[in-house]
Amino acid sequence: MNAPDRMLPVPPPPARPRISLHRLVLIAMRELRAGLNGFYVFIACIALGVAVITTVGALSDALHTGFERQGQTILGGDVTFARMHQRASEAERRWLAAQGRFSETATMRAMARRLDGEEQALIEIKAVDAAYPLAGALPVEEGLAFDAAVSGSPGAAVDPILLERLGLKLGDKMRIGDAMVTVTAKIGDEPDAIADRLTYGPRVFLSLETLQATGLIQPGTLVRWRYALNLPEEKGADPAALLRIRQRAKAELPEAGFSVADRRDPSPQLSKTLERLRQFLTFLGLTALLVGGVGVASAVSTFIERRRNVIATMKSLGAPSRLVFSIFLIEVMAIALIGVLIGLAIGLSAPWLLTLLYGDALPIKAALSFSPRSILTGAAYGFFVALLFTLWPLGRAELIRPSVLFRDEVAPEAIWPKPRIIFATVLVACALLSFAVLMAESQRIALYFCGGLVLVFAIFAGLGALVTRVARRAPRFRLPELRLAIANLGAPGGLTQSVVLSLGAGLSLLVAVALTDNSLVSELRSRLPQTSPNYFVLDIPKADYAGLEELVRKEVPGATVVDAPMLRGRLVSLKGLNVELMRVPPEAQWVLNGDRGLTFADKVPEGSVLVKGEWWSETYEGEPLVSFESELARHLGVDIGDQVTVNVLGRNLTARIANLREVKWESLNLNFVMVFSPNALRAAPYTMLATVALPKGIGLNKEAQVARAVGKAYPMVTVIRVKDALDAFNRVFTKVMVAVRAAGSITLLSGALVLAGALATAQRRRILEAVILKVLGATRRRILVSHLIEYVMLAALAALFAVALGTLASWLAVSQVMRIPFTFSTWAVVQALLVATVLVAVFGLLGTWAVLRARPVPYLRAE
Amino acid sequence: MAQPNIQLTTIIRLTDVRLTLASRAGPVDILKGVTLDIAQGQSVAIVGPSGSGKTSLLMILAGLERATKGDVHVGGRDFNALGEDQLALARGAEIGIVFQSFHLVPTMTALENVALPLEFAGAANAEEVAREHLEEVGLGRRVDHFPAQLSGGEQQRVALARALAPRPRLILADEPTGNLDGKTGRQVIDLLFGLQRQRDATLVLITHDERLAAECERTVRMLDGRIVSDERAVAA
Repeated sequence: MNAPDRMLPVPPPPARPRISLHRLVLIAMRELRAGLNGFYVFIACIALGVAVITTVGALSDALHTGFERQGQTILGGDVTFARMHQRASEAERRWLAAQGRFSETATMRAMARRLDGEEQALIEIKAVDAAYPLAGALPVEEGLAFDAAVSGSPGAAVDPILLERLGLKLGDKMRIGDAMVTVTAKIGDEPDAIADRLTYGPRVFLSLETLQATGLIQPGTLVRWRYALNLPEEKGADPAALLRIRQRAKAELPEAGFSVADRRDPSPQLSKTLERLRQFLTFLGLTALLVGGVGVASAVSTFIERRRNVIATMKSLGAPSRLVFSIFLIEVMAIALIGVLIGLAIGLSAPWLLTLLYGDALPIKAALSFSPRSILTGAAYGFFVALLFTLWPLGRAELIRPSVLFRDEVAPEAIWPKPRIIFATVLVACALLSFAVLMAESQRIALYFCGGLVLVFAIFAGLGALVTRVARRAPRFRLPELRLAIANLGAPGGLTQSVVLSLGAGLSLLVAVALTDNSLVSELRSRLPQTSPNYFVLDIPKADYAGLEELVRKEVPGATVVDAPMLRGRLVSLKGLNVELMRVPPEAQWVLNGDRGLTFADKVPEGSVLVKGEWWSETYEGEPLVSFESELARHLGVDIGDQVTVNVLGRNLTARIANLREVKWESLNLNFVMVFSPNALRAAPYTMLATVALPKGIGLNKEAQVARAVGKAYPMVTVIRVKDALDAFNRVFTKVMVAVRAAGSITLLSGALVLAGALATAQRRRILEAVILKVLGATRRRILVSHLIEYVMLAALAALFAVALGTLASWLAVSQVMRIPFTFSTWAVVQALLVATVLVAVFGLLGTWAVLRARPVPYLRAE
Repeated sequence: MAQPNIQLTTIIRLTDVRLTLASRAGPVDILKGVTLDIAQGQSVAIVGPSGSGKTSLLMILAGLERATKGDVHVGGRDFNALGEDQLALARGAEIGIVFQSFHLVPTMTALENVALPLEFAGAANAEEVAREHLEEVGLGRRVDHFPAQLSGGEQQRVALARALAPRPRLILADEPTGNLDGKTGRQVIDLLFGLQRQRDATLVLITHDERLAAECERTVRMLDGRIVSDERAVAA
């Protein structure tokens, strides 16, 4: 007997081999030779989300570069200095002339009237000197050359729309203020239109001399003087030179109160708006990506399930779990890379395509260029989301036991991955959240948005689990079709979880966008005319106000005229701090941009409620006091007792905050952020601003008649129809909402892709099930009806919850953030239900068609 | 019967190994106290009817299944004391497994399949060694073929090359000819025994084929989770 009599010595513990990344990638790529079958939905989901984010970024880059390249033309010079009311003094002119060549323009709103007084129209006057335009050229469509058109005996170069409104033609005369001017040219696109803000009426170019002749320029008139400056010897293209001139202006003209802009960023407000829109649409793209993430997770789950044997073989050949995990992670990230690259390609070519199709609709000519930021943002979001949704299912690969190679093992339905995978998933989620928050201008809004998304996902994931559980425990129904449908809802590996999650999240966003849009539109269109005035009347000389009020009351008894003295000024400092150096939340930024309307009053203005402090007495004559709007005061960090300095009429005025008011902005009444004590501004030259509210039910004719009567009697005042002003805003708003809706719809498209993917994955199981049912004697009709019941139940559940969550989100955004009344729209909800049902029914029944056509024999043999 | 008195080294020592698996019908005892020593360089056939516990025994030897009770020492290591990943590393270094269904990775060529365990072990010359082993099993001209382009016998030869490429001290084979016709099976078995002897490796072979079992130095018979006989062949 030679029984072994000695044991092998105990070897050292097995060492973990070092495998290079290159080797790992090689193994992963070999393993991936099976092709991309089963990954198309994964790729499409990532590509779609990345495409949205990159499109938004690239389009914003293109507009931004367009801005920079055409900055000089858009601005009308290298640097501009603008202020309200006060024309540049001689000293200021000398200073400007010392810096380079400059051009002076004055813009204001006024009325143009036919000589017979039958028609009048609101116009936007731009009075220019001989040097205008310093950059670019002003195209003339018909009539005299631009210089000749405005320089001759009172001549006007006008936007052709004005001629249409007044029923005039080239060569006709019209009245502006006290002057009679001849229409000498029809102009084309004005190069520096953006720099002169949103306009309500057609443009009319005059010479500065003609403007003087109109008599419209009175002390306190709302006229904006702008000085465009071209630096000598091409220094305008040098950022350092631009910065120097701005610093010099600040030092040498400390109290001039000019708003300064330079060609690098000709319209800071528009740049800010674009940036905000970019971030908002990026968030919508991120939502689409996250919804698509459900498809990614389900594709990876199926992939790992199909690779069970390969994974087990690798482990039996000595690969530790982490090594297997790394190989499959590389594979999945390589597939994500394909999606990211497709998304980037679509996103980067989108500006080119959009410029080609809709170039005219853009505010400026887009210059095609891409910033690394846009490319990195798109790619980073793509990879973050891919990683977030793949770690969990990949973690299950670690749990596959090599013993499956020896015996058939039924995989448990839900296995939790190892703790380190759970930890890594949480880490990636935090990284994604931090990235989104850090990239956002308003961290608070980004946090709300991300929190909302997490909540929506959690709710729908919970709902999916609940439906599955309830379906499993549901009593047996007598109707076989219903029984089958409910069994399918609760089946392991069924559609319920992924469909409820993807469709529900996508629909929630769509409902939220639709309801928010609806609330805004109804606020703008239907609600306002009932509570707001019909007309704003600007530039009423103090002496004319009483007569004007009497005229309106005579024309329409019962009309309400509310007035306020009006000046415009710029906030210079708060609590002694220069506002240019202050960081304030985006919702308060507008107060610091450009000039604001200022007024004074001896009583709390109508529509305002005093919330803190006390109003000054009617006879107050102490240090200047100011009443500040309470919410803005909170955002700006100022309170009672703090100093506020405004520059008005070229000098700084400092006042102490005496009280805080709550203002209902949406009433469109005469609302001001700052109301001063009368002694602070009474002595300044100001004009009156009035609102005219006519009794309800008054006809359009009567409305127009009042405006004509006012215009005839007081040629110096400007009458703006509130509805026209709102229409101008609506046009911009509608364009923005189209972009928002498009980005929101992409989320639903992502949901549809996930749905299609889930149905495709379940297809083989469904065919087998149908085959067995057919063998047992089920008719096609019975199978079809059972599928239909299942789909309708899924769609209805997802849609109902989406409506509830979308409504809640919209209500929060509308009533808490935008502070306007929330309007529910049944139609928006019906649309959501319809979209959900149609999507599920179409995709589902396409699958059912294949199921019903399947012949039993091959499937039964294959099993 | 006289045996040459050679001192042998034990590579496998199982002491009262029990395996109980959970099933829907309750726990099932698969192995009911198996005690077995196998010496380095020996070839051992494990035979027995279906359900006797042969494959489970092999899985315990490969570190793919953990014994519910009892001691398992393989290659000097206490398998009960090793974690899952350490077991995988031990397998990669010292155990080669040949499956009945080959289990080649379908997306990799013959060469890549054979190189895989070497790559897992961090070998720098994995492809070179893989190529040598494929030549050794007579597939030097089929290195770039994918499994689907190879016959069953060829696939099993690739699997053999893959199991032997890391030069394991222990070869575990589960019905290696079960999916092959007689002639092809014979070729594979000849290769398997040839290489085992050439490398002085230990071979544990599961088979239903009595003739094949008779070619091993030792035959262990199992029934209902127990070893019922342990026969040694007469030395030639």
